[in-house]
Amino acid sequence: MRVFWAFARQSFQTTVIYRFDFWLRVSTILLLMYSIRWVWVALYAQRPSAFGVSLEQMVTYGVLSMAVLNLFYSFGVQYYISEQVRSGAIDLDLLKPLDFHIHMLARSAGEMLFRLFIMIIPAILCGYLFFGLQPPVTSLAGLLFAVTLLIGYLISFHLGFLLGTLSLVTLEVHSIDWAFDALMRLFSGQLVPLWLFPGVLGTLAALLPFGSLLATPLSIYTGVLRGDAILPAIALQLFWLAALALISRWLWGRVQAGIVSQGG
Amino acid sequence: MNAFQLYFRLIQISLLSRMQYRANFIVGLLGLIVWNLVNLGLIGILITQFTRLKDWTLWELVFLYCLWILGYSLYGLFFSHTTQMEDYLIEGTFDQFLLRPASPLIQVLGREFQYVEIADALFALTGISLAYTRLGLHWDGWRWGFFVIAVVAGAVIVLALNLLIACTAFWTGRSRGAFIVVRQFHGLVQWYPIDIFGNAFRAIVTGLLPVAFINYYPALMLLNKLDYTSSGWWLGYLSPVVAVLMVGLTASVWHFAIRRYSSSGG
Repeated sequence: MRVFWAFARQSFQTTVIYRFDFWLRVSTILLLMYSIRWVWVALYAQRPSAFGVSLEQMVTYGVLSMAVLNLFYSFGVQYYISEQVRSGAIDLDLLKPLDFHIHMLARSAGEMLFRLFIMIIPAILCGYLFFGLQPPVTSLAGLLFAVTLLIGYLISFHLGFLLGTLSLVTLEVHSIDWAFDALMRLFSGQLVPLWLFPGVLGTLAALLPFGSLLATPLSIYTGVLRGDAILPAIALQLFWLAALALISRWLWGRVQAGIVSQGG
Repeated sequence: MNAFQLYFRLIQISLLSRMQYRANFIVGLLGLIVWNLVNLGLIGILITQFTRLKDWTLWELVFLYCLWILGYSLYGLFFSHTTQMEDYLIEGTFDQFLLRPASPLIQVLGREFQYVEIADALFALTGISLAYTRLGLHWDGWRWGFFVIAVVAGAVIVLALNLLIACTAFWTGRSRGAFIVVRQFHGLVQWYPIDIFGNAFRAIVTGLLPVAFINYYPALMLLNKLDYTSSGWWLGYLSPVVAVLMVGLTASVWHFAIRRYSSSGG
């Protein structure tokens, strides 16, 4: 736990230095919440019944999605790994008396915790005040939202770790990351909820791990997913978490042996 | 050596160093195509529920999106690394540029050539030609001319905006947050016709951060959607003017910023 706080403190200090940058990030979140609301209002104006849920629910889904999004983009473990390899500093990380996977998790979680309190919770409050965000359907749904969002964060961390490990093979992460980012944007239900996906796309979304990141917590919060449907969704999340943790650890072990450090 | 010769020489050198990562080229092309398909997919899924978004049909939206990507690819090919300015400043790389006997701007611009952006360009051209036939457009010579000018103007506006933001790093030491804001702006303004947003938002993307001129206003003109009875119809023709103004503004900010630069060491 001490390690986590150390990293959270570090990221706080960096943010204090670059205050302007911080405010811009906050304004981005507000801007996104504002505009996603307009997109849905414009779409609902044409045919209110087309999306299966009420406009209030849809706005809540969209605004909340924009508010919590930073949780998944906070640290960027794939960029960290590839940058360390490029500069050669990865040697130092590997020499540290700390398992690399745990080290990365600590860094990421530290940053995530910090972001949670300084950006995400204030953003959610702004959502309630200005952007038509509604409270969760029941208090249990609110609680489950928090739990599933945490699991979602852990899944996204492991996806990033896996991507970073792969970047050791390709020696470059940016272009893979673009494709990955795009897939995540589509299949996590970040902009368009998964239940609107037609045919093959819907099946694909159900088979990929991205839905567990955001669609599950958001659907629970808005009451689209309720009762007996909640438990299987959480089980699926846990399955993805376990599978990705095992795969990424295994792959890291194999790749680590053959690391090519570029600088130094 | 004049500026152009120097620029091409620098590009040549950077391409040689890029050749080390050949596998990355293929992955990069695929990555960009997936990225574009996903973006269009997101618009498409929404549209399948209806036939149109306000007055915009699916193929008009494809055109709108591809017009942006085409301009962006032109920018990306030559200038995408302007977003890395803060790294140059924080790591002290920028000192090199100032010490060498050549224009720092040319050196920064000549540092990289992002050839994977060709994938964007091909994607956009395919999308635009599909939309052109599906929408049954018949442009005369003047409209074709305007199309080319609009694409170049779009690229110039993106470049000028990004350089302006990069310049903020001279004061704040960091510009990444600002780039994130602009990218999110692109994600909204360039994908959706801005008439679905509120008036305040439209005023911002027209006057303050003129991203609507990258594709929205020219697309109005090119898709025959300009309403000549409304008071703002001339905005559809304004993007080249905006591009020129932006270049002027950016150049002066850049010169001002450079004079202010103090190295971070490193």
